[in-house]
Amino acid sequence: MFDFSFLLSYNIYGEVNMDIKEKLEILTDGAKYDASCSSSGSNRSGKFGSTNRSGICHSFTKDGRCISLLKILLTNCCIFDCKYCINRKSNNIKRAIFSPEEICYITINFYKRNYIEGLFLSSGIIKSPDYTMNFLIQTIELLRKKYHFSGYIHAKAIPGASPSLIKRLGSLVDRMSANIELPTQESLKLLAPNKNNENIHKIMNYVKNNRGKNFVPAGQSTQMIIGATKETDYDIMKKSSSMYENYNLKRVFYSAYISVNKDNLLPTLKIPPLKREHRLYEADWLLRYYNFRVEDLLDSENPNFNILVDPKASWALKHLDNFPKEVNVCSYEELLRIPGIGVTSAKRIIKYRRHFKLTFKDLKNMGVVLKRAQYFITCDNKFYINSTYLNKSFIEANLVIDNDIKALPYGEQLQLF
Amino acid sequence: MQDIYIYNNTFKGLLCLIYELLQKKIKPYNIKGLDYTPNLFDNLIKLNLKYDGDIIQKFIEEFGNYNFKIIYYVYLSLNAKKEIIIYYYLKNYYNYYRNLPYMRNLKCVDEALKISKKVSAECHKFKGFTRFKKLKNNVYYAEINPDNDILELLSIHFKRRLKNEFWLINDVNRKIISMYNKKDFEIIPSGNWQFKLETSEEENIFLEMWQQFYETVSIKERENLACRRNFMPKKYWKYIEEVKKEL
Repeated sequence: MFDFSFLLSYNIYGEVNMDIKEKLEILTDGAKYDASCSSSGSNRSGKFGSTNRSGICHSFTKDGRCISLLKILLTNCCIFDCKYCINRKSNNIKRAIFSPEEICYITINFYKRNYIEGLFLSSGIIKSPDYTMNFLIQTIELLRKKYHFSGYIHAKAIPGASPSLIKRLGSLVDRMSANIELPTQESLKLLAPNKNNENIHKIMNYVKNNRGKNFVPAGQSTQMIIGATKETDYDIMKKSSSMYENYNLKRVFYSAYISVNKDNLLPTLKIPPLKREHRLYEADWLLRYYNFRVEDLLDSENPNFNILVDPKASWALKHLDNFPKEVNVCSYEELLRIPGIGVTSAKRIIKYRRHFKLTFKDLKNMGVVLKRAQYFITCDNKFYINSTYLNKSFIEANLVIDNDIKALPYGEQLQLF
Repeated sequence: MQDIYIYNNTFKGLLCLIYELLQKKIKPYNIKGLDYTPNLFDNLIKLNLKYDGDIIQKFIEEFGNYNFKIIYYVYLSLNAKKEIIIYYYLKNYYNYYRNLPYMRNLKCVDEALKISKKVSAECHKFKGFTRFKKLKNNVYYAEINPDNDILELLSIHFKRRLKNEFWLINDVNRKIISMYNKKDFEIIPSGNWQFKLETSEEENIFLEMWQQFYETVSIKERENLACRRNFMPKKYWKYIEEVKKEL
């Protein structure tokens, strides 16, 4: 059995033998700020459970995020004191710790009732990174070996743990991630003095070099906090792009900063910068699936995204001389750069236009958003709208109005140009 | 008069009928199931059909795996015109052969692809939204209310996932039930059976924990109910434990 006596020195306010329901509440509350919840990319099947290559969402929370994994912490006790984190050492909050058996018990029973797709296990750091890592490994090993669980498991790698432990954990899970948290070393130093950028990069590098069928098959991801420090969108996107290139990451998650702690190093935001987060996700997609480079979207003179127009439309407005494109002849790469045409509809256009000449009606049927694409395309050399008005300010004004302003979270202020 | 051809409400029956119509080059005004109520101008025709051999195998050989999957998914849908869409889809196969699925400017192809996509999308949703309860006799029981007839597709998924449990999935809308005995599942009509459902004692513990997890994991500052409704339409909430009480 695990010896919990050391916990007495970590200002635990609850009891170790606290009710399991109360533990679940405390340890969910501490884990909820992690954005990642995907369950895709792995194809596992065994005595008990399976994974689905495209991932399955089991429920949606009131904030509209998907629940597919049981997202919990092993413990919210932590020896680190990261300024932005709810679980930091100096916070006076209720602390709890799960035993490995308790986690298995909840996971298996939730799984059998089809509440969840698997487990997302993270942890505060107790004693030392290696010690915490061992604790994680022991839990997941129990789940995989004793209970033969072959559902999805996403585990956090603890920065600073030794490579042999990372290897063991990686061979048990589907996805492993280490959070970079802040885009630059300086910010990290300021807000998370115990964390070291290099340790995180070491983990990513290790995972990248060893990934395979039996080691982190669903790949790795990371997360950055948006709006806690003064970095521009340009800094953030440069960091993301370099991580995609260097470590083959599946995803970078962006998490709008929510003030959970008071600290004079932290900004006081009443409302998290959700619109900015949204723009970063859009740009992230452009990098991964649309062959855009960061330099196409931002530069040091315009280091932030336009809140009113999405990144792809902004790019198109800046390069109006490239348009209109004739959808019946232009290449896949060109199609991808047209606002209102996504990866799916671009692929369809390529697939179908070999067999018949496309009309605007066909485009609509294929899922092209004509509301946005109409200013940038011709079909059979015809425009969808009267082309005499097509100039930058006309298009821009129309796109801004179409940009669903209602979708903004309540109370968020629009920043005009 | 409008010639309405009637089939016996089974997939095989529909295939036999369409096969016959295509062979004899008959153009039906419509194709309907047994429960169709005719109007004044309808001329109902019931053919005496016989096909020796496996009609499904025949169709797969004739039209290919992909097209067969499309028409099967269309058949599972709730769409009122599904039979005639399938007929025209298959009829056009002889004009375009393997290029058929690319002819999206044809109404029947466009509709068929859209409907089959809808069915598979709903099935995917229910892979997540199905909620099992453990009964006293260790059987896991779930009730679902999908629009389309996805029970078979869903059962294939759960056969892989919960292979060492006994489970039942009850499609409340269609009154059919899928039963799994740790080897294979069978779908039978549940009629007006009254199920005596005694849930196991531990059931409430997990349900409470799950509901509490659901409440806790949401971030208050980011609340966005419209977004949630978008992903999890209210029509499904009746059998989803954690949101049921919000209805």
